[in-house]
Amino acid sequence: MAAPQVLPLPHGQIPITSHAFNADRSQVAVSLNSNDVTIFHRQGQEWAAGETLSEHDKLITSIDWAPNSNRIVTSSQDRNAYVWSLTPDPQTGTTIWKPTLVLLRINRAATFVRWSPNEDKFAVASGARAIAICSFDPEGDWWVSRLLKKPIRSTVLSLDWHPNNVLLAAGSADMKARVLSAYIKDVDKRPAPTVWGEKLPFNTICGEYTSPSGGWVHSVGFSPSGDVLAFTSHDSTISIVYPAHGPNAIHTIKLTHLPLVTLTWTREDEIIAAGHDCQPFVFRGGEAGWELAGTLDDNKHAGGGSTGVGGGRGFGAAGAGAGASPVGRLSSAAFTTFRNADTRGFASMASSPTSPGGSGGLPSAGGGGESEIFTLHQNTITEVRVYEGVPGDVRKVSTSGVDGKLVVWDVANVSPLGAAGLSGKLGGMHIR
Amino acid sequence: MSNVLRPYLAAVRSTLTAALTLEDFASQIVERHNKPEVEVGCSKEVLLNPLIISRNENERVLIEPSINSIRLSIKIKQADEIERILCHKFTRFMMQRAESFIVLRRKPVKGYDISFLITNNHTDTMLKHKIVDFIIQFMEEVDKEISEMKLSLNARARVVAESYLLAFNS
Amino acid sequence: MDVNFRKIDIDQYDEDVLQEEELYEADPRDPAQVLNDAKAKVGAVRNALSKGDTVGAINLVLDGTPVGPNVEEAKNLNLQTLTSILNSTKASEIPAIVRSLSQDAQDTLMKYLYKGMALPGWGEVSGSVLLGWHEKLTEVAGTGCIVRAMTDRRTV
Repeated sequence: MAAPQVLPLPHGQIPITSHAFNADRSQVAVSLNSNDVTIFHRQGQEWAAGETLSEHDKLITSIDWAPNSNRIVTSSQDRNAYVWSLTPDPQTGTTIWKPTLVLLRINRAATFVRWSPNEDKFAVASGARAIAICSFDPEGDWWVSRLLKKPIRSTVLSLDWHPNNVLLAAGSADMKARVLSAYIKDVDKRPAPTVWGEKLPFNTICGEYTSPSGGWVHSVGFSPSGDVLAFTSHDSTISIVYPAHGPNAIHTIKLTHLPLVTLTWTREDEIIAAGHDCQPFVFRGGEAGWELAGTLDDNKHAGGGSTGVGGGRGFGAAGAGAGASPVGRLSSAAFTTFRNADTRGFASMASSPTSPGGSGGLPSAGGGGESEIFTLHQNTITEVRVYEGVPGDVRKVSTSGVDGKLVVWDVANVSPLGAAGLSGKLGGMHIR
Repeated sequence: MSNVLRPYLAAVRSTLTAALTLEDFASQIVERHNKPEVEVGCSKEVLLNPLIISRNENERVLIEPSINSIRLSIKIKQADEIERILCHKFTRFMMQRAESFIVLRRKPVKGYDISFLITNNHTDTMLKHKIVDFIIQFMEEVDKEISEMKLSLNARARVVAESYLLAFNS
Repeated sequence: MDVNFRKIDIDQYDEDVLQEEELYEADPRDPAQVLNDAKAKVGAVRNALSKGDTVGAINLVLDGTPVGPNVEEAKNLNLQTLTSILNSTKASEIPAIVRSLSQDAQDTLMKYLYKGMALPGWGEVSGSVLLGWHEKLTEVAGTGCIVRAMTDRRTV
């Protein structure tokens, strides 16, 4: 029952858009809300910044690291995706990450990317109302794509591969989760029949599910066996679909919390999902029904990461009172500045209100009307991924979020949801 | 804070918290662009139902959520002509300096006195619950501020009138 | 030079663009039928209220609510009926009532509260009553319920 571990990445509080570990978890590729991917590697207890992968010229949206073939694929809002592989540098002889172009043929942002289980193709979701299924063309030495277009009507927000390497689940902003076939003749062998269908030519729609109260589908996931699909949507619900039991075998849980944006299956009967409520929730159940079992976060983190290894690394100490982010405390500082300027004629307006020297240090900041949240992550969790274990028996998961933290959680360490959890910390009516 | 105001601010707080669930979202209409969808309004599916919280006809808040941005507009209480003038001057003063306020919109939405535009960039760099705090604090203070200004305006008028009339005293 | 062509919204001709009406499934009932249902409810609700059964009355109103376009009249009638219940309920009873509602009913109630607040001074709508209900409902149903009031395009 290990406590959650905050990986001490030396980058401060810059939001992590996406993260992906390598096979032995000694390196992690993260995108720090920028056009570059930074690879951090473990050095004893510390993590050090290594190579930077720069080729994209817009924000990177998603990263995936293939464990066996050791290749990284990145997608970005510049409409491109690159596959990075370790190759010797012809000049110096050292191995470096070299990008290979992918012919995506999409004309809007690429939003999400995932390797297929066999690592011989990958899928790129995009804002062009399409999903590009990419496979390698040795003759041209590049990756070519085929597009899944119909019936997607809006930006695709998330993807997940079925273990059979052919089926693909997609969640999109048109409020639908779909299961589609991404069968490519040259790559795949004829798949065995599944609960989703028997004959699966490219672009077969095997299932289409609408979110219960009309929210964008933020994340989708096949269960380890591939026979069950879970998706979370912006109406704060998680739905679990059993296609083998007829079209209506859908379990929906309406949460009292803020929407979930990412999920991962840990066992055939357990899902971890996280999102705007800043904590990873645990759902358990089966064909008979599902329920919210608890949270991995014990909600005892007073206003910022005082626990975990990363405690002293900038964000720990600052989080205590006035706000963990330097800009977070600007709010009242800016207001005071302007009120002073307005009513008392102080001409201190020239100094930027974002300067950390403002009212942030005042002891009163922690009390009064300032609300605090007690989760380890202080802002939205954007990604939860498997960290340790095999599909069907995952022991640890990693989460990254807008607060710039990368945390490893033991999935056995489930805390029950207290009474305070009922309305969600952020929704708490905590005002003076 | 007065007890009458509390449920109103609590409702704004919870609604704003629910609306501040933003994410990065590149435009579907224009390639390589990334704009606040609530301002563009071209992709219907990424806009949500606008919600209004009101105490009465003269005091209300409009929250228009979308996938990567929300617009929050406040109608400030104005009981008489002086308060209307003061409110106009006050909001104009701030909106002319909108860039220093970061989340302030330069122009209010029609029918409201002041508008804020919060995008996913703001929720990335600032803590969500602190932004909520800021808005709530703003709403608390702005009423107080305007009534204070009204008082000092009246006081000043009295002083001016007195010293003017003193001239006729002798 | 004529520059009006620049102002044409060309995106509306893109057949891939989602239209407003495609975002939700329309109510299968006929508008007149919906209005009749809403009218029928008024009496039943008054009956339940006179017996002191507030929970029953609320459930009656929140069940099979008119949604979507073309049923404005029925929507307004339903809001009126609901408002009369909300106004006549004692503040101390609200938490228990809210807790006894199903999650679907809570979501619908939240939608009505926001609709009511959007129409201050309309009929018997009172801001402070609605705010009181909103606070109690949020305590029970959480921010998730508010999010659903935003996302659900089947507006009441």
